[in-house]
Amino acid sequence: MTATFALPHRARLGAALAFFFLLSACAPATRITLLPQASGAPSAVVVSNSQGVQVLAQPYAVAEVSRSGSIGLATTTAEAVRERHPQLLGLQPPAPQRFVLQFEPGSSLLTAESQALLVEVIAGAQARAGGEIVITGHTDRQGSLDANDSLSLERAQAVRTLMIERGFAPERIDAVGRGEREPVVATEDEVVEPRNRRAEVLVR
Amino acid sequence: MKPSLSRARCLGAAWLLTCAASGALAQTVTDVATPATPTAAPTTAPSANTARIGTFKQVQGDAWIGAGTARRAAQPGAGVAVVDRLSTGPQGAATLTLKDGTVLTMGPGTVMDLSQFQFDATTQQGNFLLDLLRGSVRVVTGLLAKVNPELFKVQTPTSVVGVRGTDFIVETQDAR
Repeated sequence: MTATFALPHRARLGAALAFFFLLSACAPATRITLLPQASGAPSAVVVSNSQGVQVLAQPYAVAEVSRSGSIGLATTTAEAVRERHPQLLGLQPPAPQRFVLQFEPGSSLLTAESQALLVEVIAGAQARAGGEIVITGHTDRQGSLDANDSLSLERAQAVRTLMIERGFAPERIDAVGRGEREPVVATEDEVVEPRNRRAEVLVR
Repeated sequence: MKPSLSRARCLGAAWLLTCAASGALAQTVTDVATPATPTAAPTTAPSANTARIGTFKQVQGDAWIGAGTARRAAQPGAGVAVVDRLSTGPQGAATLTLKDGTVLTMGPGTVMDLSQFQFDATTQQGNFLLDLLRGSVRVVTGLLAKVNPELFKVQTPTSVVGVRGTDFIVETQDAR
């Protein structure tokens, strides 16, 4: 009884496995598709393994890596990618929003205008699925690099505290200090430039 | 036993076998390629949530954080940590953003590990290694790939993908 039952079952299992491996032997083990950048800027990916290296440098170029490791090249189209990967194209988060907050001269107090902007920042972040706020503090070039790293982080943290007080989830707000690395107005070192003392806020 | 049920079970067995094999292979590849030297320590600022390296955004259908029985459902806003295994169900899909602004979108039936991630927000130095074990992932790179392109990698059991600033899709195994 057991034997007669087990045999066809095992045969079916064998056939299913053979079919499966036949299928998977034909399909490439890995497929890489280069998409155009939103900005239109050129980009590339490099696909490599023990068998070789291939560069994809044109949008919709495809690298197909077989189970044995050989890397073949192909091309696809925007339509074919949409059909093959509807979720990957459809499920993109909306573009981040950016705000700039200014401080009262010589302090880490926000200007009245910037305080009003906080409401908009928080509303924007709350409207997004899994919304996050990243606050990046910047300084001018007066003072040392290290001192400006600390100062810019303090400014960002002060803004973060204001946002937590207004009810936004602390674990989804990051305060970052970029020091004097990214001035909006280029100056020589040790030059006082109030426009560079700011916090940039990214809502994503 | 009804033929349909039997077939489903056979396919299920084959699927598990393949997963086990690819998992083992991925492990081997990871071991070989692991010493991507971290160039910067993660930021120690108290206001940075250092354990949290990313946040789930849109989630469609089933998506999980963690492996095996310890896995939990991923909701929008849920945090992920380095070494976390992320996965989606056969009808699932999900998008997450990492600290440096990299956007990862997982297609259906995907299993991937956030094997390495370091990002110093002040200097923008760090590294990233994603191991795609099964399924598909779209990667829109952020600051890490811009500043440290040679330390930003996506691995599959058969290959390593490096970037030169970009948006691309990687699929592996039975992606469809």
